[in-house]
Amino acid sequence: MDRTGLLLNYAAALAIILVLNFAIPRLMPGDPLQAIYGDEAMIAMTPEMKEDIIRRFSLDMPPDRQFRAYIASLLRGDLGHSYYFNAPVAEVITGRLPWTALLAGLALVLSMAAGAFLGIESGYRRGRPADGVLLAGMMSLSGLPDFFAGILLLILFGVGLGLVPLAGAVTPYSGLGGMALFLDILHHLALPLASLVIVRISAVYLLTRNTMVLTMGAAFIRTARAKGCPEAAVRYRHAGRSSLLPVVTAAGLQLPHLITGTLFVEIVFSYPGIGTLLYNALLTRDYPLMQGVLLLVTVVVLGVNLMVDLLYRKIDPRVTHAY
Amino acid sequence: MLEIKGLNITYGGPPVISGVDLRLDRGEALAVIGESGAGKTTLGLGVMGLVKGRCTGEIVFGGRNLLAMAEDERRRMRGRDMAMVFQNVDDALHPLYTALDQIVEAILTHRRLERAAARKRAEDLLRRVGLEGSRAAAYPHQLSGGERQRALIAMALANDPALLILDEPTASLDALTKGEITALIKGLIKDKAALVITHDISTAARLTGRMAVLYGGRIVECGPTAELLADPRHPYTRGLLRSYPYMAATKDLQGIPGRMERGVPGCPFHPRCTQKIDLCRRETPVPESNGGRLVACHRGGIVPLLEIKRLSVSFGPVRAVREAVITLHEGETLALVGKSGSGKTTLARAVMGLVPAGEGEIRLEGGKIDGSRDFYRKVQMVFQNPGESVSHRMNVLQAVGEPLDVQGIGNGEERLALVRRVLDEVELPSDDGFLKKYPHQLSGGEVQRVAIARALVLNPKVLIADEPTSALDASVQAKILKLLLNIQEKRGLAILLITHDIALARKVSDRIAVMLNGRIVEEGPAGRVLSSPRHGFTKKLVEAVLSKCPPTQPESQDSSLP
Amino acid sequence: MHIDYWREVKKSGPGRAGLAAITAVAALAVLAPLFTGHQPGEYTGAIFHPPSREYWLGTNDVGQDIWTHLLYGARTSLAVGCGAAALSAIVSALVGGLAALSGGITDRVLMRLTDSLLVVPPIMVAILAAAYFRPGAALLVFLLAAVMWPGGARLVRSQALAAKERAHVAAARTFGAGRLYLLTRHIMPEIGPVIIAVLVMDARRAVFMEAGLSFLGVADPAVVSWGKMMQQALRFSYLDVWKWWLLPAGAALSLTVAGLAFTGFALETVLNPRLKERDR
Repeated sequence: MDRTGLLLNYAAALAIILVLNFAIPRLMPGDPLQAIYGDEAMIAMTPEMKEDIIRRFSLDMPPDRQFRAYIASLLRGDLGHSYYFNAPVAEVITGRLPWTALLAGLALVLSMAAGAFLGIESGYRRGRPADGVLLAGMMSLSGLPDFFAGILLLILFGVGLGLVPLAGAVTPYSGLGGMALFLDILHHLALPLASLVIVRISAVYLLTRNTMVLTMGAAFIRTARAKGCPEAAVRYRHAGRSSLLPVVTAAGLQLPHLITGTLFVEIVFSYPGIGTLLYNALLTRDYPLMQGVLLLVTVVVLGVNLMVDLLYRKIDPRVTHAY
Repeated sequence: MLEIKGLNITYGGPPVISGVDLRLDRGEALAVIGESGAGKTTLGLGVMGLVKGRCTGEIVFGGRNLLAMAEDERRRMRGRDMAMVFQNVDDALHPLYTALDQIVEAILTHRRLERAAARKRAEDLLRRVGLEGSRAAAYPHQLSGGERQRALIAMALANDPALLILDEPTASLDALTKGEITALIKGLIKDKAALVITHDISTAARLTGRMAVLYGGRIVECGPTAELLADPRHPYTRGLLRSYPYMAATKDLQGIPGRMERGVPGCPFHPRCTQKIDLCRRETPVPESNGGRLVACHRGGIVPLLEIKRLSVSFGPVRAVREAVITLHEGETLALVGKSGSGKTTLARAVMGLVPAGEGEIRLEGGKIDGSRDFYRKVQMVFQNPGESVSHRMNVLQAVGEPLDVQGIGNGEERLALVRRVLDEVELPSDDGFLKKYPHQLSGGEVQRVAIARALVLNPKVLIADEPTSALDASVQAKILKLLLNIQEKRGLAILLITHDIALARKVSDRIAVMLNGRIVEEGPAGRVLSSPRHGFTKKLVEAVLSKCPPTQPESQDSSLP
Repeated sequence: MHIDYWREVKKSGPGRAGLAAITAVAALAVLAPLFTGHQPGEYTGAIFHPPSREYWLGTNDVGQDIWTHLLYGARTSLAVGCGAAALSAIVSALVGGLAALSGGITDRVLMRLTDSLLVVPPIMVAILAAAYFRPGAALLVFLLAAVMWPGGARLVRSQALAAKERAHVAAARTFGAGRLYLLTRHIMPEIGPVIIAVLVMDARRAVFMEAGLSFLGVADPAVVSWGKMMQQALRFSYLDVWKWWLLPAGAALSLTVAGLAFTGFALETVLNPRLKERDR
């Protein structure tokens, strides 16, 4: 696919997301304000607040004007009002975002690196015992839902062994600073991160291993051996590098799963990221907050996928030059 | 420099290479030819130490047995002391690195050099093989097939190895590129030992001085390239050459019946061989030296079936045949050409016992012939004029069945079956209606086919065909000759074709003997006799034919081919 | 080359394990009433009763039998999973097949749509819609199918295009074969196994998403589901009940998802012969 086509796809995807976000709440019965905000918010909000929202989002206008107002407010960064937190949605989300970014980012890097490494080693040793054990283990992991993996770890290390805190991202009111704060954050992060990595590693591993197996059969591997390349060079520089190409794509494909997984794992560990925020929003029916979180996550996923697609063209000379 | 002794390679099943012995010295190029699946590439990879299977035996290189070395030591020799030029398949080069980078890697793997120096050397190498500037820095997918092959060659040369193994270096290239690459390789391997693995006989012929023929993992024949191509001794070599369309060959393409099987007991070629004996099924022949040629065949190579030694035939004072010497081998066509009255037919008739032979002797399969009935089971003749040679009083069944009656073979039913089968073989109808037809109800071509069927019904080894098509139209003649060649391919029939038409002889014969005034004045491979005739009379014959058809150019003689 | 896909899948270790797991879960789901004397909605009066002969896995916070919930949860999981997968695979096959066979503008429009939807994270859309609609099983099937079909459609299209270019299709056309004949005799048999692989992979994603949605509490609260069991049990993780409430639900879900995943891997290996262990 050419670059324009690629950008067009992402633009279309973004448009679809925006239309869905706009339309789904408005499909609900009742006037737009009630439909969007739900019954609970109606009770909690003051009449002035309602007036303000109706004005900001043109909720008393025909649908086309409403849509324009919706887009305009998005461009302003206005995601509406969270009745539960009694604060603008954007502000609530921004406060939680760093924790999720930390968790998801680390999980992505770790699972990709470990999965790719194990995949290369396993594919290189195809058919030998180490490969068999790793393959069976990874396939079993791939059946584990993120939140159940989190639950298992929580019960084992948190409830059972008491090694790590059961909830939160930092010890509250501890007043820690510097190195101690850093260690405290790591301490809280360990289990959620481990759950995510355990579940996400298998997909990268399986993909890398498959590619590695195919690559090891390619003629250029024999060429490399005939040059006298040491086996390490054959494994990493020749076979490994080729096998990593699909992993880059996989990073993009993995991202939605990873973020979903992060949301669920946060819920299990009451980690104060946007996953827990989303869960609370769902429980309290704080619809604008929920919409805001989902929209943000979706746009991030789209953005990262686009970057990966563009990056892939840089890494693989065949793609850059072939079109 | 390289000596392979008793090499066996197996991937767990039947051996892919068994008992291979080869020697290769510096400055020498050896071709390994054979069909795909013969084990050629495995042999090359075995020398490089890149086969996954188990190797036993010895590969001595530079005085040391490679198979006894540690893997790491062998690894360090690869690319430095010995290198392989791979076939230019799509992914022979790593798709993510430029050609230059891949050669730099080959250099740096074995030498402690600055990167810049290695780069310089790699550029020089690429320039030597004809890739310069932007082509050198291109990614493999940006290069053409010929350019990739050049890059692969440059890579093999990276550390100036003493031994080069070239695996199908010209496969999947167009004819012009193939020519260029072959010339390039020829220049590069002068001071090296080169093992050229190919199924392309013309490439092998241009690059190498010696040639080994591999079949079913065994070397069946080995000898100087020119001699081996001109005079193949092993039936498989001959079949292989006949199947290969190279320019100096004049005979039409013929295949080899059957297909290669793995793990057959005895001689690997025996299931497809037309001259096999019981021993071939049981024991594997060892290569035996015979006049600078190694041939692995229980029968010592292609057997001479009919040997005519210093045969003279006289009718009173007229000496029709004078000291004629002819050897007819299994499965080959020997054309005996000459003017009418030169003694060709007399020679044939003398062999068949129709005229008494004077001096000299005629041997069949090594034994003196005694005029018994058995001789005629093995040697049959087709006469010039079918209208005369097939009795007009006999119907087709009677005519074709006549030799069976004479030899007392089978009862009526069996004879009928044999007749039907041979009629099928010569592509005639075999229904009852046709069997009851008489010669005058048939066309000239059909009668000649009946005559041929009659000659073949005894399943002879030798067929003497005296101007078998001179009475027929060109279109019918072509069909009948093709038929004979097909039967030759299937059964290994040896044909002594007597003709005055040298153009015809050119298309159907392996060898040509020229007869003048009762003497054989010249004899040799058809290609050679026609392209460079030695006797004045032969020259005249060839020129006469050429001048008859001015628009046709003489077959271009590829100068590098023998 | 003809490959008996079914036999190949059964021959591979993961394939057998996967099929066995799915069969076991399916048997429990279908025969649920035979294995329990309770109804999922029935209040027994015993709250947080530990496992006993009467309540195999004890009871929950409102006194419902957990074993019964586990069995009926399997029904929900499989029904939603299979339903959504089947619907999604049908849409995939129709869109992908239509795009491949029509070509031209139809192909371009359909594939532009597919590619756009492909980069939209399905679970996000599912959560958004579910939060408003609170879907029951039937609506959930439609919802999940609506977000899942694009991946399969791409795959079916590429396979159908490849099948269309095969020499035997060209040969059949030289015999004068019509479009319908080509579709039923040559193209469908080629892409049939691909559609089955798509079906299995979609089923896995659907089971997963159903559990996720009910874990988030956005599905119909009246439907018994493993995800909801885990959500409810997690609130009582300070009690011992997780041992017979949380773990069995999670294990059952993992078993089902793993079973489908294993079957999918086995199919993928069969469909991509280069991945198979070469014999020699």
